[in-house]
Amino acid sequence: MLKYLLKRLFWMIPMLIGISLISFFIMHLAPGDITTTEAGFNPKASEESRQKLRELYNLDKPVIVQYGLWLERMSKLDFGNSFASHQRPVFWQTTDENNNTKLGMIQEALPITLLINVLSMGLIILIALPLGIISALTQNRLPDRSITLFVFIGFAIPGFWLALMLMYWTGVAHHWLPISGLHSMGADKLSGFAQGLDTLKHLILPVFISAITGLAGISLFVRNGMLEVLHQDFITTAKAKGLPEGTIIFRHALRNALLPLITIFGLSIPGLIGGSVIAESIFAIPGMGKLFFDAVLMRDFPVIMGILTIGSALTLVGNLLADLSYAWADPRVRKGVMQ
Amino acid sequence: MTFIRFFLLLSVLLLAACSESTRTPYSQLDQQYAVESGGTMVDALSGEPSGLIAMLAGESSASAIAGNIFNSLLKYDKNLELTGELAQSWQVSADKKTITFHLKPNLKWADGQALTSEDVLFTWKVMTDDKTRTPYGADYKLVKNASAPDPQTFVVSYAHPYAPALDSWASLHVLPKHILQGQDINNSDFSRHPVGSHYYQLASWKNGESISLVRNPNATQGAPKIDRLMSRIIPDKAAQFLELMADNIDSMALNSVQYARIFPARPELNQQFNLYKELGNSYTYLGFNLKRKPFDDVRVRKAFNYAIDKQEIIDGVLLGLGEPVSSPYKPGTRWSNPKLSPYPYDPEKAKSLLAEAGYSDHDGDGIVDKNGQPLSFEILTNQNKEREMTAVLIQRRLKEIGVDVSIRVVEWATFISRFIKTGDFSAVVLGWGLGQEPDQFNIWHSSQQEPGQFNFIGYKNPQVDHLLESGRLELDPDKRMKIYHQFAEILYQDSPIVYLFAGYGLPAIHKRVKGIDNPAPPAGIGHNSYEWYIPSTLRRNEISAN
Repeated sequence: MLKYLLKRLFWMIPMLIGISLISFFIMHLAPGDITTTEAGFNPKASEESRQKLRELYNLDKPVIVQYGLWLERMSKLDFGNSFASHQRPVFWQTTDENNNTKLGMIQEALPITLLINVLSMGLIILIALPLGIISALTQNRLPDRSITLFVFIGFAIPGFWLALMLMYWTGVAHHWLPISGLHSMGADKLSGFAQGLDTLKHLILPVFISAITGLAGISLFVRNGMLEVLHQDFITTAKAKGLPEGTIIFRHALRNALLPLITIFGLSIPGLIGGSVIAESIFAIPGMGKLFFDAVLMRDFPVIMGILTIGSALTLVGNLLADLSYAWADPRVRKGVMQ
Repeated sequence: MTFIRFFLLLSVLLLAACSESTRTPYSQLDQQYAVESGGTMVDALSGEPSGLIAMLAGESSASAIAGNIFNSLLKYDKNLELTGELAQSWQVSADKKTITFHLKPNLKWADGQALTSEDVLFTWKVMTDDKTRTPYGADYKLVKNASAPDPQTFVVSYAHPYAPALDSWASLHVLPKHILQGQDINNSDFSRHPVGSHYYQLASWKNGESISLVRNPNATQGAPKIDRLMSRIIPDKAAQFLELMADNIDSMALNSVQYARIFPARPELNQQFNLYKELGNSYTYLGFNLKRKPFDDVRVRKAFNYAIDKQEIIDGVLLGLGEPVSSPYKPGTRWSNPKLSPYPYDPEKAKSLLAEAGYSDHDGDGIVDKNGQPLSFEILTNQNKEREMTAVLIQRRLKEIGVDVSIRVVEWATFISRFIKTGDFSAVVLGWGLGQEPDQFNIWHSSQQEPGQFNFIGYKNPQVDHLLESGRLELDPDKRMKIYHQFAEILYQDSPIVYLFAGYGLPAIHKRVKGIDNPAPPAGIGHNSYEWYIPSTLRRNEISAN
């Protein structure tokens, strides 16, 4: 088992290098760099000074040399500083000789995105599990049909439109919820508990929107998994034995039906750090999606590479975790891994 | 099921916690109020500044915030004429090469230290330092010698007379030497914790959320009426508008649909907000690659100019909220030549000009041709809704005179580096600034055609070259005015670009903010923002959770 784990971990290194190499080259295939986006079209900015900036950022060197420089920094776990946002560190805070601390860009954006995604993931599971089970038990009857219709509407509805409508309804028409942002004006004068409540109120709509669009996937997964299991022989046996309905559904059927969900959760780990650009822009939330999108538009290479590297590392770790927990949950798979 | 019950309970609690705020009756908003100090004004920013040293940051949000924190030597007044800010007066020497600035007495930084000509000298040194990461250093590098002979005097001399110099000293924010000396300006924490000398100083900056300014007790230009300015960062315009409707922000820049469609349909908005109209600082044009056929022929360019209905574009794209221009200067300012008026819409004249140039429909396919070559080209523009719609209207009007136009829309960075820099385009829909400073050497002089320079359309006219050169040497405003009027007239006759429109800026500001000029002067409503005030009875309840 340990050998298997070490082997998997070891193979991640060449994989990460390969991913970063490809990302780096694709990123440089897009025309333009920071000097074209920053003051690129202002007659007061001269071409000489832009060339000077290119040299300062090493953008005048061949791409492969730039990649080498990046890899050298990364080997020391140094994600570098952003071009566009006044040399802020990409990943984690740094402190200079005057004791001024500059917070990292990912460091600041990540907790917000993580909080929203974890909350909405929790909400999705809370709602999708019962919906999926009810659907499966009432297959092709009214409850099943209406649940399917409901989750598909949630899936198909444009998130930004629903967000704006709900913002109007809960924020302008009725003053129930704040419209955008994370904190109310003057919230820092409130007590700690009231501040938490204030932030929670700001999170209701973003979490709700991201949950409703994600509901369809999980609930249909649960429904189909349940249906498949319910038609198997051991369920018939259990029924023949005269076990109570609840025991059959929750002890025998559900536990088997949930196995594939492990894979889904493993694969959604990298998704937890990627925010939605549209939702974050509309709700004015400074999260990862907005950070990445702005970095791409500005050609802010260190930030793009930083987010891509963390994202791909998490994808690999997520895969590994999914495989491991699958093995833990399912004896049939465990046997395969051990061999 | 306990979970669901818990959630229901939580949401009920949350809803109960948001109480309906007590509002000022709308009728009170229109009354007269005495001028008084205090209060907070909240506005919305679409983007977050990268830092507050404007010359390093570059984006408009940075200039907007930093403009309230830092002073320059000179500034533009409400009619866009230069006047002193930190400088009390300035003299230009007889040979026009040396400018002497006399600072106002007793200037102070926000931290109480004296602001002297040493600070100005230091700022100049920073801007011209090769290690400073700014694209805006070129104007300051022309200074041959700068000195601060005494604390009130700052002297710069140039190798040649350089008229745009005064404008460059109006855009350079003076930085404090006593704080920044010995620091690396590129990495300095100063850009997030600035110390300035203008009306306000930074109170707090919450990344990605808001930037708050509070009145600077040592302000060099006197005390503003409003105590605090808060800028909330809300990237989405629709969300900004909802915040405005919910009275969570006091002002925002509307788009034309919000201004011309939504506001008139909602009387309750008009009861709460005043709408303003100010001519923006840029114009949109159709530019041709003059190095390519058929654009090297002035008759073809003029034909296109006559064939395009500018008013139609203003009505269709801007819902009427713009003005046609006929020179690259703001209409109504001294630099704009009053004799010029936009090319009228005249398709017949366009057709005859095309025929004169040899283009007519020989093969009867509806497209004019010459030597068997149909007249067709591609208009390139970046992802900008206004420009895309403009290109479509142009396409239709040119079709009517038998010209086949296709449209291609590309992302900004790609647009610049793949097409503009390489000169690989036929025509573009783009914008240029309506400058406060008339010098447009970088855009129109024939020497500025290298990749990355701004005369990318390849305009070359010796007469214009000469005028642009002499305009830079002339410091007398009236003589300069004549030079640039003549320059605009030649440009008008040559028609290297088709001037399309200059759009209005459309701020909506809550009626609780008083003292705003309406109609807006050429400099826009913001020129006297320090005199704006909010009567105490109309102020928003400041410590409320909603």
